[in-house]
Amino acid sequence: MPIDIAKENPTQTPAPVSNDPAYLKIRDVIYRISGIYQPEEKLYLLQSRCARRMTAVGAKSPSEYLEHLTSRGNRDAELRLLLNEITIGETYMFRHPPQLEALRTVILPQVMQAKGAMGFKRLRFWSAGCSTGEEPYTLAMFLLQEKEKQLAGWTFDILATDLNDDSLNTARAGVYGDYALRNVSEAQRQKYFKVHDEKRLQVGDQLKSLIRFDRVNLSDDSKMVFLKGMDVIFCCNVLIYFDLASKKRVVQHFYSNLLPNGYLFLGHAESLFQVDNAFRLVHFPGATAYCKAPTDSAAGGKK
Amino acid sequence: MNSQKLEQLKKHIKKLDSISTAPVIMQPLLETLHLPSDKISFEKVVELVSRDSGIAAQCLRLANSPLFTHREVGTVRSAVMALGLQRVRSMLFGLCMNRVLPKEKWVFEPVAFWRHSLGCALVTQRMAQKIGYHEPEKAYLAGLLHDLGLLANSLLYTEDFRKCLAQAQESRRALHICEDEILGFTHCESGRVLAQHWRLPEDMCEVTSLHHAIDSVPNPSPLACLVHLSDLLCRVRFLGYGYDEILAVDLGGGKAWQVLAASHPQLAEMDVARFTMDIDGAMEQIVATVDAVFGPGHKLVPAETKAQSGAH
Repeated sequence: MPIDIAKENPTQTPAPVSNDPAYLKIRDVIYRISGIYQPEEKLYLLQSRCARRMTAVGAKSPSEYLEHLTSRGNRDAELRLLLNEITIGETYMFRHPPQLEALRTVILPQVMQAKGAMGFKRLRFWSAGCSTGEEPYTLAMFLLQEKEKQLAGWTFDILATDLNDDSLNTARAGVYGDYALRNVSEAQRQKYFKVHDEKRLQVGDQLKSLIRFDRVNLSDDSKMVFLKGMDVIFCCNVLIYFDLASKKRVVQHFYSNLLPNGYLFLGHAESLFQVDNAFRLVHFPGATAYCKAPTDSAAGGKK
Repeated sequence: MNSQKLEQLKKHIKKLDSISTAPVIMQPLLETLHLPSDKISFEKVVELVSRDSGIAAQCLRLANSPLFTHREVGTVRSAVMALGLQRVRSMLFGLCMNRVLPKEKWVFEPVAFWRHSLGCALVTQRMAQKIGYHEPEKAYLAGLLHDLGLLANSLLYTEDFRKCLAQAQESRRALHICEDEILGFTHCESGRVLAQHWRLPEDMCEVTSLHHAIDSVPNPSPLACLVHLSDLLCRVRFLGYGYDEILAVDLGGGKAWQVLAASHPQLAEMDVARFTMDIDGAMEQIVATVDAVFGPGHKLVPAETKAQSGAH
């Protein structure tokens, strides 16, 4: 489910900002339950998303809507609908280059050093909530490129899981149009894709052979305990739909699924607030991730 | 740094006065740095700004930037009003520094340097407000001045400092690490000597000398810790030294966070993720403000000396 927080359209003038404190409370409810956070400067985005839900439920003011959102009977359903407004369902390949840059410059060298010392030369990646496959295919292309450099002599595999069968079938087929391919270079298209029809390309066998697609329910403890030995897990904007207790359980699983020094990437505005203290938040240029082991505070910039 | 090197550094910095020409408003400004905010005269500051047309123009640009503007600001007087005395004073100081260094001595792009300094000033102030630090305006000034030592290195050790910068850029490591290897000291150390030479307040001297060396003392001041964190945040949010540094930072795991959390209960209640997302939210405006003052996207190293960067 690689959805991303809906970005404002830069050409669009922001809607007039309301100072109604109810919006701050709505923001805090969303944060407490989903981990999605909207800083004050971005509240106008939240307001425009709320506006649609307010119309839908017939709330006349933000505080009326807040009441609707927090009343026992509606809460789960309404929060899910609101989160659907806040996130958008489409994604594309190479959506977040700073994450890949963090992998290339810090995470891979760290993991390879630790594993290489033990004589292992295999890496495992997991795209948890892979939706229609853009994320694992991006990762596969990235890793193949690295294989010509620092990953020479190493092998890797990518596990891509989702709960939704339709999404998984789309991901397995690997047929994509312009939107999904917007950041894929001509050279990459030539190398890793074949023509499917006039408008679309299909992922070639080389990429497909690196990825194993599987249906996994992240709340299914009996399955989660067997997914061991991961080096990096991507789980972007999936946990926001879980309640706190299930989220805690999933994140605890992730923690044990990861090897020491392994990393967990979440969505752009997500955090593990109140979920887990075992992971350490690490900032990279333009990206953040959670690390399993105590890290040295910096790779190149030790203070 | 050994004592011989320190003496040499002090001697060099004394020479600064003869090779650089500080703007006329510099000395009166330095004097106001010691005054508490309620002792600064509004008329005096307006007069200082008005004396220098370049500085007045930059003041107007900042006052009209997205961070401050509510309505169009057209006069120096209203610009000073809009920005607030403390901020104008700090900004003036920064703008003066800009002139202290003769053009040919700038090893890096002046604009890239000031982007990082102003960015750090705004982030430090924002963090200060967030955690309830009692003097957010002082935090702003500290952020603005923390890298003074880079000016000294550029001016006094021009060729060697150029090597530091080239090596930092090529290896994508932190600048102060390359300085230590090549010069035998960092801009923290030369910054302290320069700050003392200019008789800046002791807390500012501490900030310049500790912002990369928080762990080297048992009890760093909260101000130095704030600037340390803010410098790191700027560097992981593309307001760094203008090259692609490889950096992985655990903000909440270091001494600076612990010191601040111990003295500021508001920080102890905050989680690192939310704190930094809040700063991230402000970052867009901060970058817009920095752009409004200095123009967008300058790299620290001028194009002709830049190594081919194939990373992106």
